[in-house]
This record gives sequence, structure tokens and C-alpha cells, in this order.
Amino acid sequence: MFGPRIAGENGIELRPPVLEDYKLFTEWQMQPEVTRFWGPRFTTETIATAEERFKRHLESNDSVSWSIAYGGETVGFTGIFDISWTDRDGETGIFIGRHELYGKGIASEAIRLRMAFIWNEMRLHRAHNWIALANQGSWRANQKAGYSQIGTYPRSWFRSGEWFDEWLGEAFPSTFPADKLPSPWRDEDHPK
Amino acid sequence: MALGGIVRGKRTTLRTPTEDDLSAYSRWMADMRVRRAAGVWHQPAMPATWKERLKEQAKEQRSVLWSIDADGRLVGLARARVGGVESAPSAHLQHFIIDPDQWRKGYGWDAALALHRYFFDYLDLKRSGTELRGDNVAALRIAEKLGYTEFGRGHQVHYRDGSYVDESWLLMERAAWDERFGKTEREYVPFGSAR
Repeated sequence: MFGPRIAGENGIELRPPVLEDYKLFTEWQMQPEVTRFWGPRFTTETIATAEERFKRHLESNDSVSWSIAYGGETVGFTGIFDISWTDRDGETGIFIGRHELYGKGIASEAIRLRMAFIWNEMRLHRAHNWIALANQGSWRANQKAGYSQIGTYPRSWFRSGEWFDEWLGEAFPSTFPADKLPSPWRDEDHPK
Repeated sequence: MALGGIVRGKRTTLRTPTEDDLSAYSRWMADMRVRRAAGVWHQPAMPATWKERLKEQAKEQRSVLWSIDADGRLVGLARARVGGVESAPSAHLQHFIIDPDQWRKGYGWDAALALHRYFFDYLDLKRSGTELRGDNVAALRIAEKLGYTEFGRGHQVHYRDGSYVDESWLLMERAAWDERFGKTEREYVPFGSAR
């Protein structure tokens, strides 16, 4: 399924993706600036198959996907995937496709909003993820929302002459910082 | 890939799965003993669904499925992803299920050793990984004996019997295989200087 619109701070919001976003994702994933800590930079996806992927994600019953918007423009995506409804656990991920926007706190805010939804609306028990250890910006953004490191996967993949380890993290509802709860959940008139 | 070929252990043989195996697969996936110990490959289903699943498995590009025989009968299954483009060539053991009625007979260890011989001695892979539930003592013991070590531990990951259990993430490097089994476990007798 697609997640609902959740407005954050500094012009950042999560919103349900539209087909045009999926066409952007296909292009972004082919760019060297954003694939250093991402995939192999080849794909079976084309602009034409973006619609199939869009429908597949929309109809999925074990994932929730969002587009990330900054100043009204789609700049990336995030979500929780492979949800086990019996374990109440899922794997989270985030991708900022506009590399010129790195360092502006977009990922941190998107993760905060995503995790607030997961804990307060989906009643999940746990979330986990794998992030390149060298991608400090990403795992630190996750730490701010309550993730902690539970292991390191050595020599996971290779880029430009060096091996990269991966940072393994997990989070629980109790590890989400209460003072960072976004609206609407922090609002006084929000029904608890 | 897709459907595995024959890999012989001392007491077990991993072989190509057939439709005749599917009723046993379905029975195992419905067995609470299996479900408590590990994740199932698929949920129990009608025979026609299992036939479709086997057909789909045959099309898989990167995962391989084997049936495991012992003493002339089917006793288990194994399924692994094999590959590595950006990473070192590796296997990821996704499912390794022994018929609960055949537990404690040593089939698990024998089949696991044969499968890892195939990974390291035949495919020349550099590592193998897997996840095991924190209280699956038999599987953890086999993994440790093979040379797996824990690189991460998920807390309260799987829910059953009214509570959560941890998950152990394990990795076995080629060096561990070479050190423990490299001289004794060979798929073929080396040609050596006669090559």
C-alpha cells in the first residue's frame, strides 16, 4: 500500500507516490552520484515498466511506500517492506535521488515521520535495516529516530577499490524519542 | 540454477526436487515443530498451488532448491541464493528443513556438510550466510560446527508460542571451510600432477 500524507518540518513531507515519481526513481537509480551506497546501477526497470512497479507497490499487502517531497517536489522515497504481520516486523529503507540536496536533513525528517507512522498507526513491534557503514549520514539519521546498531556485516560490497561493511540496525516503539513525535500525534487535540 | 542437482553426502543426498516431493513439503510447512524452529518456504496449500510454486522455483535465476534424501526416502529440503555481482561470490542459505519425524538422526549435519562442500569446493564461493532463530539449538550447533560465526543479532524478531525470540545472523568465510574441511571434504579426487 501507499502511506498517507504526513507533513514535517522545513518543507519536508511524506506523501503517497504518483506514477510520475516512479519514472523519476527509475532514472535516479542509474546515476553514479546516488548509487555509491545503493544498487549495482543496472536494472530491468524501464520507464515503460514503471507503471507495473507502481501498481505492484500500490497493491502490496506487506509494504508501505511513500514519496519524499521537499518544497513540493518529489526528491526520494522511503517505506517499510517485507512486513511480517505475525512477527510485526519489517525492513525500512530510504533513498534520496536528488544528490544536490544531501546534507539538508531531508532523510532525518523523512525517517522521523515514517517511524512515527509505523509505531502509532501500524502497531508494529520492530523495524530493522542494513545501511552502508560508510554512509554515516544515513545511519545517523536512523539513530535519531531510535535505531541502534546490532551488528556489522563485513565486506558486503565493493566500490572503487575498497570493501564496504554494513551497519545493521533495529528499532522498537520504546526507542523512538518522545520529544520528537511529529504532528498530528503530538497535537493536544489529537485523539489518543 | 533454480533446481539443484545431485550433491552426495555420506548418509544423505541432495537432489533435484520433483512433483512427487510436494505433498511432503506441504506437510512439513503445516507442522508446528517446523514452524517453531524456522521460517517456512511457503504456507501450506493445495497440490495445484505447490506445482505452480515448483514451476516458479525452476524459473528462479539466483536461488536453488534441493530435496534431501536419506535411506531411500525424502527427509528434507534446502534452498539457497547463490550469486554476487558487487559482493564476493556467496551463498545465502534461506531454508534448510528436515522432516521432524527424522530429527536427531544426523541427517541435518550430513546434508549441511555436503551442501557447504558444494558451495566452497565446487562453486568456489567465498562465503555463506544464514539466519537462525536464537533458540534453534540443533541448527546453531550445526552452524557452529561448520564454521559460522555471529555478526549480528536481532532482538525479539520472531513471534510464536506467545513470545518473541531473537534471530542470530551468521556468516561463514571460505577460510573457515578450508581450515576445517578443505583437506578432507572434496567433491572430486584432485587430478594433481596427472592433470
